[in-house]
Amino acid sequence: MRSRRFGGIAAGTLVAGAVLWSFATSDLEVSRMMSAGPRVAEFLGRMFPPDPTVMDEIVKGSAETLRIAILGSLGAVILSVPLGILASETMVSPVLYRPVRTLLAFIRAVPLILVAMLMVGAVGLGPLPGIIAIAFHATGMLAKFYAEAIDGVARRPVAALESAGAGPLARLRHAIWPQMAPVVARDTIFRFELNLRESLILGIVGAGGIGFYIQTYVRSFQYDKAASVTLAVIVMVVAIEAINVALRRRFA
Amino acid sequence: MTTAVEIDDLSFAYPGADRPALERVSLMVPAGESVALLGASGAGKTTLLALLDGRLLAWRGRASVLGAPIDPDHPPSRDRRADSGFIFQEFALVERSTVLRNVLNGRLGRMPPLRAVLGAPTPSDLEVARAALDDCGISDLADRRVDSLSGGQRQRVAIARCLAQEPRLILADEPVSNLDPARAAEILTLLTGVAGARGATVLFSSHQPDLARRFAQRIVGMRGGRIVFDVPVAELNEDATADLYRDGVSVSDVGLRAVT
Repeated sequence: MRSRRFGGIAAGTLVAGAVLWSFATSDLEVSRMMSAGPRVAEFLGRMFPPDPTVMDEIVKGSAETLRIAILGSLGAVILSVPLGILASETMVSPVLYRPVRTLLAFIRAVPLILVAMLMVGAVGLGPLPGIIAIAFHATGMLAKFYAEAIDGVARRPVAALESAGAGPLARLRHAIWPQMAPVVARDTIFRFELNLRESLILGIVGAGGIGFYIQTYVRSFQYDKAASVTLAVIVMVVAIEAINVALRRRFA
Repeated sequence: MTTAVEIDDLSFAYPGADRPALERVSLMVPAGESVALLGASGAGKTTLLALLDGRLLAWRGRASVLGAPIDPDHPPSRDRRADSGFIFQEFALVERSTVLRNVLNGRLGRMPPLRAVLGAPTPSDLEVARAALDDCGISDLADRRVDSLSGGQRQRVAIARCLAQEPRLILADEPVSNLDPARAAEILTLLTGVAGARGATVLFSSHQPDLARRFAQRIVGMRGGRIVFDVPVAELNEDATADLYRDGVSVSDVGLRAVT
């Protein structure tokens, strides 16, 4: 009882200390904080009405983002099929799946934007660093999902086909794959949706796509144009969501 | 070949178990006969059937299935696995595949490996599958997905898949205990009927004496991993049957407790 109370006091002191430290060292002035609300409102006001003349840039940038997401996802799927099998408990021994799972956890821990910046440095500006970054980053999650899909199938039908004389590959094809196919489809579509969303901002570090235009217009104070591009991004995200819902119904 | 199953002094224990699941079991089943393994849960019925199906290794004793000995050190060849069909209590079907696809899965052991992986049945494979569907009375369900079927229909699909293997021995582990009594009798009528028509031997397990008596020619009583009686149906003794389900400890249990 006493130790619990002491723990509460210690935690409270720690949180209060962290907040005070952040305030004190971030150069915040009360007057500036008070005026932040109206300033943000005024800033948003300058975005209206959105400038429709940037349609060409929107189409060009969206198409490039879409291409980055498609090719990045393709790369992630290609990497995730073998890595997913190697990370599966029911397909390989712990000696193999444990290190592979650790590797995937490490990949997931690296932020996409950091990978993209490194890739821009390595291969230069344009869509290529974006594609590589998406493929790398998405594999951390997708390979884990594939492994879970393999491990999640009912084992009895697999045993039944073994008893009927089917070999390992025939069992994979006819007993495991039919069970995991909807999960793989759902996970891949889910990851593609995330890839598309995440690739929208890759342009900000020079890795191609529509994000490049948002960054350019904001930096050159053309907020009405930035607003148009932002709206286009929102429309794309909603459209992706709608397609995703329709596909999920189809595969359910 | 006149014997379908011949086992002699067979013992087996699951890894880490303190008691054997099968202890000095001997049994002979002539080809074409229908035999029921009767006993309570844990009597060793499932273990014995799995062993005969070639799914257990590291047992002691001698066993031969369909005239050839089975090896306690290596799993059986694809051909031999196809020769003995297995029917599971829980159906063990691929739920998202169609009825026909599931029945064709029974052909996989009869196809060359590449054809099996591709899942490309020949006209004769299809013919065997269609005949199996027909015999099980489910031709009209061929294109339905298994997850849309009832329990009784699912067990018919499982029997059809087994028949598609063209097995000479059918091992059935509690094939009807997931079904209601009317459906259970229907399925066992079907199973023993199609097996009889094809001259296949049936060895099925059950914990229900009335079903065993109705559908088998011979009854083998099991208790605690041992065979305690092996009689033609006409000679089945009520007391001996009741004894299979008697609670309390057997002599070997008492012995074990005395030392531990």
